[in-house]
Amino acid sequence: MDGDMTSAAARRPAVRGAASALVAALVVAGCTAPGPATSASDAVPTTIRLLMFGGPEERAAYQEVATAFHAQRPDLNVVIDAVAGQDELLARLTTGFAGGNPPDVFLVNFRRYGQFAALGALQPVQPLIEVSDVIDLADFFEEPLTAFRYDGGDLSCLPQNVSSLVTYVNLDLFEAAGLDVPFDGLDWNTLVEVATALTDADSGVYGLGTSPSLVRLAPLVWSTGAELVDDMVAPTRLTLDDFPQRDALDFLLDLNLVHEVTPPDLAEQARGSHDRFLDGDLAMLWSSRIEVPTFRTITDFAWDVVPFPIAPGGRDVTMLHSDAFCLPAGLDTTDAAWAFVEFASTVPGQTILAESGRTVPSRIDVAASAAFLRNDVPPTHAQVFLDNIQVVRATPSTASWNEVERRADDILEAAFYGRISREDARARLRELSFAPDS
Amino acid sequence: MTRWGARSALLAGPFILGVVVLLGVPMLLTGWYAFTNQTAFTPGTFTGLDNLRQAWRDPLVGAAMRASLVHALLTVPLRLAAATAFALALASPRRGNRIARAAVYLPSVLPDLSLALLALWAFNPVFGPVNGVLRAIGVTGPNWFGSPWGARVAIAAMMLLPIGEAFLVVLAARRSLDPSLYDAGRIDGASPRQLLRHITLPQIAPLLALLAVRDTILSLQVNVVPAYALTDGGPDSATLFFPVLIFDHAFELFRFGYGAFLTLALLVVTALLVLGQALFARSRGWL
Amino acid sequence: MTAGHVWRVPTAGRALGRAATLVAAALWALPVVILLLGSLRERGAPPPATFEVVPAGASLDAYAAVVDLLPVATYLRNSLLVVAVAVPVTVVVASLAGLGIRLLRPRLQRLALLAIIVVLLVPASAVWVPRARVFGFLGLGDSLGALMVTSLVATSPFFVIIYWWAFHRIDDEVFDAAAVDGAGPLRTWWAVALPNAGAASMAVGVLAFAAHWGNFMDPLLYVGDPGRATLPLGLSLLQALNPTDFPLLLAGATASAIPPVLLFLLAQRRFLDPQQWTAT
Repeated sequence: MDGDMTSAAARRPAVRGAASALVAALVVAGCTAPGPATSASDAVPTTIRLLMFGGPEERAAYQEVATAFHAQRPDLNVVIDAVAGQDELLARLTTGFAGGNPPDVFLVNFRRYGQFAALGALQPVQPLIEVSDVIDLADFFEEPLTAFRYDGGDLSCLPQNVSSLVTYVNLDLFEAAGLDVPFDGLDWNTLVEVATALTDADSGVYGLGTSPSLVRLAPLVWSTGAELVDDMVAPTRLTLDDFPQRDALDFLLDLNLVHEVTPPDLAEQARGSHDRFLDGDLAMLWSSRIEVPTFRTITDFAWDVVPFPIAPGGRDVTMLHSDAFCLPAGLDTTDAAWAFVEFASTVPGQTILAESGRTVPSRIDVAASAAFLRNDVPPTHAQVFLDNIQVVRATPSTASWNEVERRADDILEAAFYGRISREDARARLRELSFAPDS
Repeated sequence: MTRWGARSALLAGPFILGVVVLLGVPMLLTGWYAFTNQTAFTPGTFTGLDNLRQAWRDPLVGAAMRASLVHALLTVPLRLAAATAFALALASPRRGNRIARAAVYLPSVLPDLSLALLALWAFNPVFGPVNGVLRAIGVTGPNWFGSPWGARVAIAAMMLLPIGEAFLVVLAARRSLDPSLYDAGRIDGASPRQLLRHITLPQIAPLLALLAVRDTILSLQVNVVPAYALTDGGPDSATLFFPVLIFDHAFELFRFGYGAFLTLALLVVTALLVLGQALFARSRGWL
Repeated sequence: MTAGHVWRVPTAGRALGRAATLVAAALWALPVVILLLGSLRERGAPPPATFEVVPAGASLDAYAAVVDLLPVATYLRNSLLVVAVAVPVTVVVASLAGLGIRLLRPRLQRLALLAIIVVLLVPASAVWVPRARVFGFLGLGDSLGALMVTSLVATSPFFVIIYWWAFHRIDDEVFDAAAVDGAGPLRTWWAVALPNAGAASMAVGVLAFAAHWGNFMDPLLYVGDPGRATLPLGLSLLQALNPTDFPLLLAGATASAIPPVLLFLLAQRRFLDPQQWTAT
């Protein structure tokens, strides 16, 4: 054992320096950090944080809006905080609130905002609109507005977009098979025929891709003329086990289990439908407007959109997809955040977002404009999205809907891929409890 | 040995401060939330045992507890056995042992998410090397993450890799054992297996018991990333480990009060298990 | 004197056992290799028809794509900042606490170690949400400080135990001598305890680095500002946007793993070599 203390210390020059560096580093790290500055010490400009989810194209679009807004209001600085998806958004919101630094405005899907509204966490935008000089609800499509009125009352959040469920089609595959592209719409039987003709499992080409989830099943159910739940305002159960809802459920499951036009379990795990469409191995894909920015990067083949299929002899109906700007209740920055929301919801703001391709504008005027209805880039039949607005329906916006959807999705996925039997799935869907509104 | 008296205890000051602020205070807050209906946005009011009643009725609670216990049962003994076997076999300064030790330790420094993505890839039924090897020997590999047991086994196999901490501990312990005992044993004609059973294991038994306790705690209480990144709790709640259920309630459904209560329940179950292990070890004279 | 039979396992059996051990050890290193090889695959390529070790058409395209899609420089910088602070603090806090326990009476030492086990019992889920409150209160909300501050509980109480064990191997006489020389507890820590716990410091340093580098939950929960995101967050973003683009994901996973793996390979000699742990 070395009893000489000084030489021991001399052997550790790195440690000696660390102590002083440590203090300095802690001070530096604790106070400021590289990146957009928060408004810790700034009185002017005020910083507003927008929490949103989405891919790089979407972020870039919102950043453009933020920059344009800052040009108009130099005293306000908007920072875009983007996460990958809704789940991360919810987690971030939660700790943001718990930690006392929630975002000043966030974007959320109508199927999830019910929880917030039920807890009184939102500053309703209705009173803000009533005193606004630039926003008039008459300029917006009514359908998304309805989706964001909690309990049918005041408007909670201002819808940013009004997307819907459509069928993306690979035009080249249709041409190669000698089939007409169903731009006027199609019914379930035609869909199966077409998909079967386009499926060549041995080559890894499938006719249709869809996620086996409740948001895909709902419009199928509605198309039969039936309801998804027992009561839209205060639902207590899913009615998927009743007739004719069963037909819709069977139709969905049959696509994989009987007609085999969708990629089976293993294939889907190996390469998701989204990727298959991008690679040109999928003839049709059920999805919303969200795909457009990515799909616009496709160079190998031509694609477009057609309406969502209708039940034979049934109704023309599709699923609403809408996100809105929501403001948390009780913050000091409400007025500043609302100023941003106003700007983003005026013609210039919505035009920027429409040009990214990602959104179907919730404003009637922008939706009808060239920013959205473009002929130079796909989808050239973007009118489908606008026609859909007449026939969109929404799921209930209750506090527990998010949870119900997640559980139903697990069951549907298991049944779709044959991991559980149909009877089992029906029984579980029947027994799904809607926890009481908390 | 009170050279410096109380002053030496001050050395632990920063650590104790950290424990109080980062563990103690949150634990107390959780304890409080557990009996309220606290949500992410609204302050909670005291609701007594409402959360207990809800948990009792909640089918996912039972499923999650089952998933966690199965996982612990599957992984804790295997991890400990692997770490111990490797540590004892590779403890001597033989040629090749150094590389082997580094190899065994290597997966333990991988980031959580990297390990999870590795598992996602390795166990992919079509592309993954696991099924690739099986295919090469004529066996059709299962749809790992598509079936409950497949997912459990895949995650257990993944968790078998980062055994570095236990490995290190047993390694250090083995090296600190008195070599003269082994010499005496060998002179008496003991076989290597007998040396293991009568000299090595009894001496490191307390340490193994401690490692078992720690691993149980970890596998029951910290297990979120695999489910988050790989299975989302499925299929069919097979990998809905208890911490994942709590995460869902706290961060997707905003029910802090309920989540806190579930945390307390988890704590109680873990503590009971650990106590059971400790008592068992005590009875065998290991602790 | 008894001339006992000296046990000899048949040479073939011994060799087999040895081979089995080495093969098993190699299996543990295999995952890293699989990770790397997977990242070299061609994106969008069909599944391999036969079992291939090195994928056909291997390239680094996926890595280029990762850099294209993500602000890797920002993530790297933030991750580095965090470990630059957290690792030294962990080493300091853990070694101080370990020494503090070591200097207690034997009975108290046992109690202290038991207390640490109890501390380990605090579930991760118990701290997720309340810590957000604590951070907000301390003004650490949404900053890298929130990620560094767990180093104050020595990142994991287990590291305290590692140091305690290393100091346990130092005889009491050594500390007595230091006291006689007029050193206080802090000086003793600096000049006597730490220099003789090199292996422990290496181990704790590497483990703390790996823990903070790969920490996914804390940045997810406590860091909202994208300018302060760390690598694991970037990786999860990649996964959310491209869930089945395996070469891309594996490239991200491999790239994230390189620093802790490299550090480990450089330092492992110091603490995995049994010579390092024997009494000085």
